[in-house]
Amino acid sequence: MTGVNRRYFLKAGSAATAFAACPGAAFSQGIGTSAPFPDYKAMVCVFLFGGNDSFNMVVPRSNAEYNVYAASRQNLAVPQADLLPINPLTSDGVQYGLHPSMPGMQALFENNRAAIVSNVGPLIRPTTKDQFFQQSVPLPPQLFSHNDQQDQWHSLKGNTQSNTGWAGRVADLIRTNVAGQQMATNASLFGNNLFQSAHETIAYVMGPTGPIPFEAFSNSGDPNDLLYQQRLAFERIVNANYSSIYERGFAEIQRRAVAAADQVGAAIANAPILNTVFPTSQLGIQLETVARLIAVRDELQMQRQVFFVAAGGFDSHDNQNQDQPVLLGGVSAAMSAFYDATVELGVSDAVTSFTQSDFGRTLTSNGDGTDHAWGGIQLVVGGAVRGRDMYGLYPALAIGGPDDVGGGRMIPTTSADQYAATLARWFGIPDAELDIVAPHIDNFGTRDLGFFI
Amino acid sequence: MTRHSLISTVLLLALLLSGCGGSSGSAAPPPPPPPVDVITKAEAFQFLNQATFGATEAEAQRVIDMGYAAWIDEQLQQPASLQLPFLKSLPRPMFLFELQDDRADIWFRNVVYGNDQLRQRVAFALSEVMVVSQLGALIEYTYSLADYYDMLALNAFGNYRDLIEDVTLHPAMGVYLSMLGNEKPNPALNIRPDENYARELMQLFSIGLVELNIDGSVKLDTLGQPTPTYDQSIIEGFAHVYTGWNYAGAPSFELAFPNDNNQTVPMQLYPSFHDTGSKKLLRGITLPQGQTGGQDLSGALDNIFDHPNVGPFIAIRLIQRLVTSNPSPAYVQRVASTFNDNGAGVRGDLAAVVRAILLDPEARPDIPMDLDGKLKEPLLRLTQVWRAYNATSASGRMPFAGAYIFFGQGPLQAPSVFNFFTPFYAPPGEIRDSSLVAPELQIATEFQNTLVTNYLLFQALGLTSEATGLGEDDVFINIDQEMAVAADTDALVSMVAGKLLAGQLSPTLETEVKGMINRIPDTQAAIRVGEAIYFIATSPEFAYQR
Repeated sequence: MTGVNRRYFLKAGSAATAFAACPGAAFSQGIGTSAPFPDYKAMVCVFLFGGNDSFNMVVPRSNAEYNVYAASRQNLAVPQADLLPINPLTSDGVQYGLHPSMPGMQALFENNRAAIVSNVGPLIRPTTKDQFFQQSVPLPPQLFSHNDQQDQWHSLKGNTQSNTGWAGRVADLIRTNVAGQQMATNASLFGNNLFQSAHETIAYVMGPTGPIPFEAFSNSGDPNDLLYQQRLAFERIVNANYSSIYERGFAEIQRRAVAAADQVGAAIANAPILNTVFPTSQLGIQLETVARLIAVRDELQMQRQVFFVAAGGFDSHDNQNQDQPVLLGGVSAAMSAFYDATVELGVSDAVTSFTQSDFGRTLTSNGDGTDHAWGGIQLVVGGAVRGRDMYGLYPALAIGGPDDVGGGRMIPTTSADQYAATLARWFGIPDAELDIVAPHIDNFGTRDLGFFI
Repeated sequence: MTRHSLISTVLLLALLLSGCGGSSGSAAPPPPPPPVDVITKAEAFQFLNQATFGATEAEAQRVIDMGYAAWIDEQLQQPASLQLPFLKSLPRPMFLFELQDDRADIWFRNVVYGNDQLRQRVAFALSEVMVVSQLGALIEYTYSLADYYDMLALNAFGNYRDLIEDVTLHPAMGVYLSMLGNEKPNPALNIRPDENYARELMQLFSIGLVELNIDGSVKLDTLGQPTPTYDQSIIEGFAHVYTGWNYAGAPSFELAFPNDNNQTVPMQLYPSFHDTGSKKLLRGITLPQGQTGGQDLSGALDNIFDHPNVGPFIAIRLIQRLVTSNPSPAYVQRVASTFNDNGAGVRGDLAAVVRAILLDPEARPDIPMDLDGKLKEPLLRLTQVWRAYNATSASGRMPFAGAYIFFGQGPLQAPSVFNFFTPFYAPPGEIRDSSLVAPELQIATEFQNTLVTNYLLFQALGLTSEATGLGEDDVFINIDQEMAVAADTDALVSMVAGKLLAGQLSPTLETEVKGMINRIPDTQAAIRVGEAIYFIATSPEFAYQR
């Protein structure tokens, strides 16, 4: 018999150490008070899977800096004349432009509704090039690896074993404040993700167009209704006790699915038709659904929501010049339509959308594409955003420059912890609890990057 | 491998209990006869759900008659059911993506009807480790995808070293992870070799990110930290190795364009585009400068193949796909040791590895344990139903390209090189809190589970041999046998449970299924049958692979 003394190792470390490593594990009082929030707020994470080549998304436009950019990027450089001019309120002396595929984002920026956060990425401490090469500061493990760096953005775990995401910890912190909500604080339209994973709360995963119903289930309450009986029988089966941990895990998802399909499905079925026209892209469809869910927030008694939507295809190892306009154009069109929808719904000041991505990409080329790097640029959009400005430092783009650890891989000068902490503070997390959301925030001088009004 | 029948366990207990009296005077009883190694139907189902695309009663009887080892030996001799010859037999459409439905068709027919069940199951497992996908650049390379899958099937019982060479040089992988067309550096233009394949071959197909012990546990240094298997300089070394390869048979590297023929033959080296400098590899090895591209490739793949991580890395991944999400370290070690040496001094013998996985005591447990087994992959729930019910369509085809939508999975249809789910996925709650994993639960979201449940409803009640008006390609299940007993609730449920669960129906499921069927009049026989199949096929106990 081999089963009795099995030890399990696939998840490094025991559950106990995983708990101890997570600073959020000890909290139990939520946010210090269980009072409901006086207002409604939503964060919408737009995750760009694969690693967005964002130094082609925001590009220096003035001659000297553009020439450095062009020398580094060679055949991947966006032509100077094609860049869409933007005029940040705070100048670092350089003029910038957006990728020509992003006129919607240009308009949002120029109208104070979008902010640029520059050279942001996972860090444990502020890190210089010397420190990187001397390994004299701790670094996030497995830099340049897709899934590991996605996990860093999602979890901000640094080199701990934490298995919660920062939105998950936010939801845990406010769970007593939002006890009346009819739907989980965290909702994903793009599958399970670490970002929304938590200890005390569970994210709800719906489809890109929202929840779908179980066919042939009725909620009529009529005992003579076969479809009602069918539903009851199904529920009793998934509510039964099971001897295997895998059966129990599966049955629990089925239980949640049946319950949520009723409540959320009924609510979204009554959602108003929006006048805003969304692109029919993967991202456009998801963001339209988010807008419709926000429209029925009162019906579901929602006060705080975090939505996770995503697009793939950003891992541009090849054909970058053909693919990038489609990718970036898609982000711009979908995010600007979403902003318009929040205006239409009268909630633009209460809803903030923001991008995250695995990493930036090498400034150097591999012929017709780029490889995995580190720091990059993110976009934040909404009526509460202090827009038309750039937060964080735009790096010198010379190969071998002060922020380049090789091949044009930029060391971030703003940390993902700072980015998350700024969003979480706006969302209502008090300063004293920001280190639960962003565990390394105390290592950085600025806890709030200032991109909210 | 001895096995206790329930009876021998009871006898053993009785002996132990009778020994408590300590009566020293009595004569020792004669030793009991050795337990007869009888395979039960439930055990045969357990084995077949690990080794095939779904247990059937007929195949279970063969396992009972032959024994596990002989069944495996028979399977190892079965030639591969292939996909490309079928696609090539069809008229060439204007665009090759139009053949993707036909690729789904031949995949389903091979895994539902093929005699090479074990080979197909291992090939599917390999396709989830060494991932290429229709979703993305390969949508227009249908011949290449079919040939890639055939290559996996042909290598399923071969040597891992040959497998990674065939994977590396396959144009589908070349396109997917951009080694095809990768050229030597051009410093003047800031061009350096593409690192995509270099990184993913090591991270995902062979050794992983950190040093492992042979039992699969992470090696920790004196500070308790894991040791990375490679750093950026090693990635760059391998990236330089993989330069100079492009479609075979072209007039030149620059003029190498895809066509129907070169997408199914290994990539070719174009020497002037290969970097000839020295290259840093794993574990302190450096390839000397001046080698040919072929020498560099051979040296690099040997370097990876020789890494001690490969055995435990591949052992864990194949065990997770076939048998259990959470193998014990001892189980991993036994399989990894077989990888390292098949008993005849050969490293990387995948037939020996598969045999070791399936015949291990942990795969064939005497007493069921809470942590045995895994969730079935959603697609395998469907194929098991189809196999149990002799599914077919009016045309005989199975072009169910929508499987990806309903089940979140399809052949070579992963969303990225990271597959449909990660080997490390731990859902929140009991599983994560116990430091366990359940990879299949990553795609068992509320949304996907609803789709799967709904599809099985359509299948059980709408896509059956009793249905009328089906499309010629609609895959339906044959419920003739059930129809004959449909009026007898007990007989009906017993028959369905026998086909899908080896008769092991939980009391709750039995009560609920019978209660539901009894609400439906005898005149609606097909609905009575459909309800029985629906409730059992959507139950947690059917989703679970013991």
